[in-house]
Amino acid sequence: MTALLELKNLKTYFKRKKIEIPAVDGVDLVINKGETVALVGESGSGKSITSLSIMRLIPSPPGRIVDGQINFNGQDLAKLTEDELCKIRGNDISMIFQEPMTSLNPVLTVGEQITEVLTYHQGMSKTMAKKKAIEMLELVGFSRAKEIVDDYPHRLSGGMRQRVMIAMAMSCNPKLLIADEPTTALDVTIQAQILDLMKDLSKKFETSILIITHDLGVVSEIADRVVVMYAGQVVEEALVEDLFENPLHPYTEGLMGSVPSIEEDLDRLKSIEGNVPAPENLPAGCRFAPRCPHKFDRCTAEMPQLLKINETRAARCFLYDSKEVPQ
Amino acid sequence: MLSYIIRRTLMAIPLLLGITVVSFAIMKFAPGDPTSLMMDPTISQADKAKFMERYGLNDPVYIQYFKWLGAMLQGDFGTSLIRKGVPVMEMIMNRMPNTILLMVVSTMLAVVISIPFGVISATKAYSKLDYSVTITSFLGVATPNFFLGLILIMVFAVQLNWFPTGGVSTLNEPFSIWDRIHHLFLPAFVLAAADMAGLTRYTRSSMMEVIKQDYIRTARAKGFKEQKVIYKHGLRNGLIPVITIFGLMIPSFIGGAVIVEKIFTWPGIGLLFVDSAFQRDYPVIMGLTVISAVFVVIGNLVADILYAIFDPRIEY
Repeated sequence: MTALLELKNLKTYFKRKKIEIPAVDGVDLVINKGETVALVGESGSGKSITSLSIMRLIPSPPGRIVDGQINFNGQDLAKLTEDELCKIRGNDISMIFQEPMTSLNPVLTVGEQITEVLTYHQGMSKTMAKKKAIEMLELVGFSRAKEIVDDYPHRLSGGMRQRVMIAMAMSCNPKLLIADEPTTALDVTIQAQILDLMKDLSKKFETSILIITHDLGVVSEIADRVVVMYAGQVVEEALVEDLFENPLHPYTEGLMGSVPSIEEDLDRLKSIEGNVPAPENLPAGCRFAPRCPHKFDRCTAEMPQLLKINETRAARCFLYDSKEVPQ
Repeated sequence: MLSYIIRRTLMAIPLLLGITVVSFAIMKFAPGDPTSLMMDPTISQADKAKFMERYGLNDPVYIQYFKWLGAMLQGDFGTSLIRKGVPVMEMIMNRMPNTILLMVVSTMLAVVISIPFGVISATKAYSKLDYSVTITSFLGVATPNFFLGLILIMVFAVQLNWFPTGGVSTLNEPFSIWDRIHHLFLPAFVLAAADMAGLTRYTRSSMMEVIKQDYIRTARAKGFKEQKVIYKHGLRNGLIPVITIFGLMIPSFIGGAVIVEKIFTWPGIGLLFVDSAFQRDYPVIMGLTVISAVFVVIGNLVADILYAIFDPRIEY
């Protein structure tokens, strides 16, 4: 498989009160052609900042990509100028967001918002673009696409708006679709529809997907491979089946454990003790150590590296370091 | 849309009637009456009574009001008490074009200058440019327009001699556009100044709110250049609250015109208003009051219609 996107040691820092805060701290990530990768983690783990860094849409100031490469299709996005990036955003890489209710412009019709991408990136005429927009709306499941195209977003429900966002994002046939918690704001039945739609479209257009989520249900539904993030770092990487079968990192284990099972009768939901450390106040050594049930001396003294376990798996944990495995 | 405009127009009628009642009442309660101004003070009581009778000044107040209202609805505002026999309507219409010219130009000046400055100020918030725009705006808001007018006359008209001190055209010279602009510049600028400052501030704060919105991030993610993101996706949203403010500013434009026209001896309805007020020329004052009220109501109507055009979420 060939890599479409490869992040190498990506570091995105935010400046707050003159201190640089590492929101994303040395992330390596590969997305292959046609693959769907889920980026999982709690709020504040840096997953959204990672996705915005790929788009180079980090609000600057205060944010800044400090180091690393974003290799996409033979170019390092981290080095491109704003003008060059404008040709890639919305065309080769497009993005959908968590808040479908507010992500569409309230004063432009659905049609205008789709056609403007087509006229801008593909140089289509207005009438051609409108035809294509109606086509895209039909593709994402609107039966009344011809009417929807002239409607304003406030007349649509959240699920419909997210489908409009998908139609918009897919209209230029992008190589990569970044979906930042696309279903979080939607109810469960609509979530399933949106995920199915994304799966279908990615197959049809051979689009790779980077989906950002904290919902393991979504992960199992859509992803081929999973990357787990904690406190700005990747802590585990695995194929989706392997991860659910046997989570390696204690954090992943904790995440899995906190999903209630339908077979068990629980009085209390399990949770991971403690909170994600604030990025301006990270512990020395392993960042998960203060919450980790397996921690031993080395964990608080030294930062573990992301250890390659086999071709598809990696974990950032001393438990899998052959040099020293505790009892 | 059309039914909305019609409905909105019909709603303005009771408002205008209310205004006529109030302005009539104020005039009646004001001290001094036309006889004392128009007639020789040594006139006999009998002649004064005849005069009162002839002008209907002895009728009950409500009869006077309805007579006046009825005539006004037919475009007859009566005749001036001071310039005997000249219809008020004619006096107003002679002055009207000057005032409309002044107001249209200064409104355009205010909009054309303040909206871009507000946007730039918002997109480059807390920069040196933003601070200078902000300070200038506050100065503009804080300076009364009669004061600004006098200062500008002193500096640019009297000392530098760049502009005339007042009037609409140079005497004894044929009409030319350039001459008109030359005369118009200072009064239009002074009239625009206060509102320009306000509009800049409102545009700035509204745009600062807008550029934080999710749909701006979406527009950026579509690959649009910053210019297009701000002006196509941002400005249309940012202008919605500004339109409301603009509607509210129309009365201050008319009030400002009274002062500015007096300072620059610009022969518009504002100057006519001041002169008539000093002479207690009731029919003219009331005619002008009603006409300005109509202006304000029309202005707000236009603002409401613009609002509906700009914001599709408004159902009418």
